[in-house]
Amino acid sequence: MEKAKISAYQLFVLILLFEHGTTLLLPLAVEAKQDAWLSVLLGMVGGFVLFWIYYGLYQYYPDNLPTEYVQKIIGKVLGRLLGFFFLLYFMYIASRDLRDFGEMLVTVAYPDTPLFIVSALLMLVMVYTVRKGIEVLARTGELFFIIVYLLAITGFILIVASGLLNLTNLKPVLEEGILSIMKITFTQTLYFPFGEVVAFAMILPYVNQSKKAKVAGLFAIGLSGINIAIITVLNISVLGVDLVSRSPFPFLSTIQTIRLAEFLERLDVYFMLTSIICGFFKISVYCYVAVIGIADLFNIKEPSRLVYPIGIVILFLSITIASNVSEHIKEGLQIIPFFVHLPLQVVIPLLLLIIAFFKNRKSR
Amino acid sequence: MNRKWMFLFLMLTGLALTSGCWSKKELTDIAFVSALGIDKNEEGKYVGTIQLINPGNVAGGLQGGGGEAPSITTYSSTGDNIVEMSRRASTKISRRLYYSHTNLLVINEELAKEEGIINILDAFDRDPEFRTTATIIIAHDSKAADIVNTLTGVDKIPANKVIKTLKITEQRWGEHMEVSIQEGIKNLISPGKEPVITGFRMTGNTEQGKKLENIQQSAVEENIQADGLAVFKDGKLVDWFQGETARGVTWILDKIKVTDINISWEGEQEAVAYEVLRQKTKVSANMKNGQPKISIHVDAEGDIGEVMVPVDLTDPSVLLNIEKTVEKKIQKEINDAIQRAQKNQTDIFGFGEAVHRSDPKAWKKLKQDWNNVHFPQLKADVTVEAFVRRTGLRNKPYFFRMESNQ
Repeated sequence: MEKAKISAYQLFVLILLFEHGTTLLLPLAVEAKQDAWLSVLLGMVGGFVLFWIYYGLYQYYPDNLPTEYVQKIIGKVLGRLLGFFFLLYFMYIASRDLRDFGEMLVTVAYPDTPLFIVSALLMLVMVYTVRKGIEVLARTGELFFIIVYLLAITGFILIVASGLLNLTNLKPVLEEGILSIMKITFTQTLYFPFGEVVAFAMILPYVNQSKKAKVAGLFAIGLSGINIAIITVLNISVLGVDLVSRSPFPFLSTIQTIRLAEFLERLDVYFMLTSIICGFFKISVYCYVAVIGIADLFNIKEPSRLVYPIGIVILFLSITIASNVSEHIKEGLQIIPFFVHLPLQVVIPLLLLIIAFFKNRKSR
Repeated sequence: MNRKWMFLFLMLTGLALTSGCWSKKELTDIAFVSALGIDKNEEGKYVGTIQLINPGNVAGGLQGGGGEAPSITTYSSTGDNIVEMSRRASTKISRRLYYSHTNLLVINEELAKEEGIINILDAFDRDPEFRTTATIIIAHDSKAADIVNTLTGVDKIPANKVIKTLKITEQRWGEHMEVSIQEGIKNLISPGKEPVITGFRMTGNTEQGKKLENIQQSAVEENIQADGLAVFKDGKLVDWFQGETARGVTWILDKIKVTDINISWEGEQEAVAYEVLRQKTKVSANMKNGQPKISIHVDAEGDIGEVMVPVDLTDPSVLLNIEKTVEKKIQKEINDAIQRAQKNQTDIFGFGEAVHRSDPKAWKKLKQDWNNVHFPQLKADVTVEAFVRRTGLRNKPYFFRMESNQ
């Protein structure tokens, strides 16, 4: 564990940017059709519960990283193994997100540039930041938080002002009934993006005011849930359900539709800036937690020395995990949620919390 | 100290490398495509007509540009699909085709009738460079190539002329409407709505239209003008709506902004011109005894623009009468449009979507044969409320006094 402290506000900003990372980019809960936003809000409620689990674990062991306290909870050997799985998970998700952004840039903006170059340049910046430590990352977050919000507010005004908002696209509400929305929530939106907050279990010990961390975390999840729901509503009401489900990057298509006063059009840069900024924080946070976790697990004194190798691993992993876009997306939607997200975000933390609860009661 | 200089040097070299010249495109190597026309030849291949902008000849008079050469150049190219056609065009054009600024897509009428527009639009939807906000039109009684080839006055770039004409006529007259590729596709796939696309016609001699002399005269004979609404069913063009029937469609779709409605007065045909200034149309659906019922309500507000018979416009009861007649006229336009669409068995108004919104369960049953069975039998209840607000700078027309003097 590096010697660093971040404030509760910085934690709030980091979680917020992290949550927006890939959700701005990709379509969310398209199976829910016009009720996707409901599914997002339900996922947010689930996100509160999940954060409560991670926070509960953190309260039992406020000075330890998860990689340390799993060893205390389920024993040295098993704990180390589990910790190692978590680190692999963080690295894998980091590489998935990197691939998402690489694919987006290559499809939309740089069709002649190889994916590797685009991803490598992105990774280079992130590796540089992560090497500087969590404090620098958090301060950068504070700075960019303001920029992202300015972009979001002006973007929202532009969309509304150009008269694109067609709220009838959202009707009928609950066409398939609440049960199917619940099903989609529990197979998709709960894990992505809200369950991914599990990465912050590794960052919670760095927060200097542990009481405020809970409030900051819940607020961040709540606000990002509302924001993502608004973006989903915007996408559906501007593009219609069908176009959203056919677009790999629906928010980009929404932004591209803006045409205001004959000259405010082709505002792709809005989308690019916001999504790349948020994506930068998401991948950086994953990369950072992987680095400190490995340093902790293998007793490496200077975690910063690990950053470059881990960065390269994430980069190469992002290139090799799938041979084309469809494969990449399909894995993300059908395999990852059940076999990776569900156990690592929900089942294992919950089991750990229960065991920790009984262990700590006994000792008292 | 040495280290500092070294660092500075590294930063500067970094600057040179990060300027991003990976896939640079020099402006002189790019051909801006302003419009694209698609026809089909006898061999069944697509013929694309590509309208390129000659930047040097577009500049306005004061800058000394313009002059001898036309502001556009067109090339045609063939292919079995759109992408092949576009790539093959490079055998004729010295520059890389750049589609980011393409604003107009013209589709041949025959092609839209026989093959439909479903197959061709995918290329535009998929390509990251092409914008789906581009306007789509159908060449009415002309080839798409004619529309793309014809030079136009006032607006030097024909594609801009077409789009601006469409915009202005949509705002001022209301028989046509601008439809983007995105909207077109949205309506194509929606089971409860079929697309309507404005038609454009080229008048005069097609050969003459390509020549610069065409626009060097005051009365331009070779012109491109909006003409009719093309109505689609299952992606194929089935009918053209013209005149007031076409305006009935734009009424229902709530696209009317300003228009002029003429009514008869005391036996005189089309004697009073009522100018609609703003309107709002609401379409709602409800189920009655298992049958869908549509109600359309129009709220129109406007002024009197012209009278050709002596009418005492100072009398509010006369205005009330005018309002009633206007209401009937609008009602008739709307009913005519609905009847014609029902005859064609194609729901261009989105009534199906209205049913879907109000009763999703019933829609599931109706969806299957909505266009063929349920839509033609649909009862639509049209109510119109029109208001005359003002009468312009004069109240009674000047001939009113003349008549009373006699």
